[in-house]
Amino acid sequence: MSRFLSAAALAAEIRAGRRKAAEVVEERLADIAARNALSNAFTEVTAARARAEAAAVDAQVAAGRDPGPMAGVPVAVKNLFDLAGVTTLAGAKIERDSPPARADAFLVERMRQAGAVMLGALNMDEYAYGFTTENEHFGPCRNPHGRERIAGGSSGGSAVAVADGLVPITLGSDTNGSIRVPASLCGIWGLKPTYGRLSRRGAFLFAASFDHLGPFARDVADLALAYNALQGDDPLDHAQQWRGVEPVSAVAEIGGLRIAVADDHFARGGHAEAFAAVEAVARALGVTRRVTIPDAALGRAAAFLITMAEGANLHLPNLRRRPQDFDRATRDRFLAGALLPAHWVQQAQRLRAAYQAKALRLFDEVDVILAPATPYVAPRIGQDMIEVDGSRIPVRPNLGVYTQPISCIGLPVIAAPIAEPARIGTPEGLPIGVQLIAAPWQEARLFRLAAHLEKLGVCAAPEPKA
Amino acid sequence: MPEFDPAAYAAQAAAAIGLPLDPAHLPGVAMNLGLAARMAALVETLPLGPAAEAAPVFVAGREKGR
Repeated sequence: MSRFLSAAALAAEIRAGRRKAAEVVEERLADIAARNALSNAFTEVTAARARAEAAAVDAQVAAGRDPGPMAGVPVAVKNLFDLAGVTTLAGAKIERDSPPARADAFLVERMRQAGAVMLGALNMDEYAYGFTTENEHFGPCRNPHGRERIAGGSSGGSAVAVADGLVPITLGSDTNGSIRVPASLCGIWGLKPTYGRLSRRGAFLFAASFDHLGPFARDVADLALAYNALQGDDPLDHAQQWRGVEPVSAVAEIGGLRIAVADDHFARGGHAEAFAAVEAVARALGVTRRVTIPDAALGRAAAFLITMAEGANLHLPNLRRRPQDFDRATRDRFLAGALLPAHWVQQAQRLRAAYQAKALRLFDEVDVILAPATPYVAPRIGQDMIEVDGSRIPVRPNLGVYTQPISCIGLPVIAAPIAEPARIGTPEGLPIGVQLIAAPWQEARLFRLAAHLEKLGVCAAPEPKA
Repeated sequence: MPEFDPAAYAAQAAAAIGLPLDPAHLPGVAMNLGLAARMAALVETLPLGPAAEAAPVFVAGREKGR
């Protein structure tokens, strides 16, 4: 039997009374205790809470009540989500001094109401400012497909916990690519919904203009299960644009979908495997059309500046008082971000609106755009530089080269893992993913296409070798 | 026009917002400011007219029963 749980199948078993949530929790706790040291995914295991929630699920089943669509499904969240009674670290040593959260984050509460069982909090880059999860305070997160390699970030622990089979569903955040980058490098599915779709209440902000939250899973059915449970109206998140629940399904149906491959910015600046991944998906779909997302590189530059300024402003009190307590990887970026001329940031916000207007016109002609998710497979932990197109460039910031222009304008994206990365020629057969990008609020189209790609066998989560 | 000097700028701008800058952190800060300057130069390449509004729009409130 595969060590990878299907959340949807597990919930069906528990709802039908054929399995006990309490037994599943004990299995997961034992597995995490035995194997977490390999990946360093969990920074906190909420065993008592998990046992209590599992017992409550089993009691409901015994009483003939339905605990919900995620009944007994073990889940965990990036450690920037509030968990009642747990200090929200956001990857920072500084936050160890903060009091425990008084309530669960909105999305944590949504999953609990759906019957999920919370196993704990997961490693990340400090304050979500990074693409690698080489956290100086809590240690680097290790990729299950090569333990000497990064998981990607900033939601590295969230991706690894799923890729390694510790839990079937996790939540992360994505400001510039922090769901899509680790999903690609760890070979699993990740969803960054439309900006404003899901409430961010109770999640530690990074750059509010771009902050999104979303799920990771090993298959499309589980990604849909999580996303459907997460949707809910929250008048307390001012960025949420509530449209009612718009459920998605993992039904492979792409009739009528107009699909194209992004060229220009998205066809350069990466290694061969990034483009081979996109071509493999395009070939499977019979897609030959190319489109240009205009000004994507400028959109990325704007996102870079706005992120620096907003992130730094959030942390200015601690940057003044205790800069030595920041991770060295983030400290100088935050300090510099606090000093940006207002003109740079305001011009970036105006460019963002102009870039969005141009990009949205593309969706008059196409429904889904395919683009690389990362410019290369997972680099080694500690690697600083990489050669791209004959130039040696810093490996870390470049990981977001294809994700930043998309989150800059809030488009929904599913990161889809290539099922057999060795067959498209990735180094050492390491995983890589593809971005499926749609117009705002069109997540359902992405799920239809993702399910189709899964059915074709071109996209699926590859199993780690060990 | 003098060339942008990130280190000198950092020292002055930090003073303006009351941010003590450890000299040991200055090279990293200057490097990141230099990178930001290159990004800002890219942003400047797109001409924007006076009608081009910034992306975030303030919402005064939500209707009840929304």
